Amino acid sequence: MSAIAPETTDVQAVTEQVWSSFLGDEEPLIPVFDAPPAFAAGECWSSAVSISGGWTGTVTVEVSALLATQLTRLMLGFDPTEPVADEDIADAVGELVNMVGGNIKSLMPGPSTLTLPIVAAGRAAFSSDSREVARLDARWTSEPVRVSVHVPAP
Amino acid sequence: MKALIIDDSRAMRSILRRIVSGLGFETLEAANGQEAIDLLESGVVPELCLVDWNMPVMDGYTFITQVRANQAWRNITLMMVTTESEQGQIVKALAAGAHEYVIKPFTPDAIVEKLEILGLVGKGIPA
Repeated sequence: MSAIAPETTDVQAVTEQVWSSFLGDEEPLIPVFDAPPAFAAGECWSSAVSISGGWTGTVTVEVSALLATQLTRLMLGFDPTEPVADEDIADAVGELVNMVGGNIKSLMPGPSTLTLPIVAAGRAAFSSDSREVARLDARWTSEPVRVSVHVPAP
Repeated sequence: MKALIIDDSRAMRSILRRIVSGLGFETLEAANGQEAIDLLESGVVPELCLVDWNMPVMDGYTFITQVRANQAWRNITLMMVTTESEQGQIVKALAAGAHEYVIKPFTPDAIVEKLEILGLVGKGIPA
């Protein structure tokens, strides 16, 4: 059961910590509250991890394709113009959701287990029997980021 | 000194490699616990293993129990570097033989500090 859910402020704190630790403090993650950033169709990457046990839910990170490329270069230590393979983007975006999801898991009742990340090019699709309980919309280097938490619908 | 970085994420291995190589370690990499065991069985014995928990094929906890069960590898220092941050998981890993536990996300300073505590890096002085 998942009557308890993380707050958007929890999601924001965890995401900011992950971003600043691995992508640096020079470009802060800027939350967007009034006008959620739009993702161009087919121009984004999505990744998700599921948590089950003391608490059940799914944490999803969606980033624009440009942002995915930028963060992959940073995490892999590539030069700014070095080509990035889709395989590397999937790896980097997957590691981000792993860290965000793992830290959200630690805020929820346990013990729980965390799945390995699932990553795809494109927008995330959510099960019709789930409901969103928290969502952070933000921008990083002007590019959109969305972190959302879904739990099974009652 | 050699450090074996065990993580299924190439990006995370790259981040850790830059940190520990900057401290003077020669680095080796494995994408899961089984790859790491294969490396050890081939005769490569690092002074330090940085071990993720959640990995396909063989997870980090199983890797640690297998290393600790082999007397030939008793001198390897094992540091978990993982998103698993529940107290029960930390206790379980330390009881199985991990020497230190770092929760992702981490800063380079956090890794250096743990290596200093373990005596693998001199305080303020690269090995």
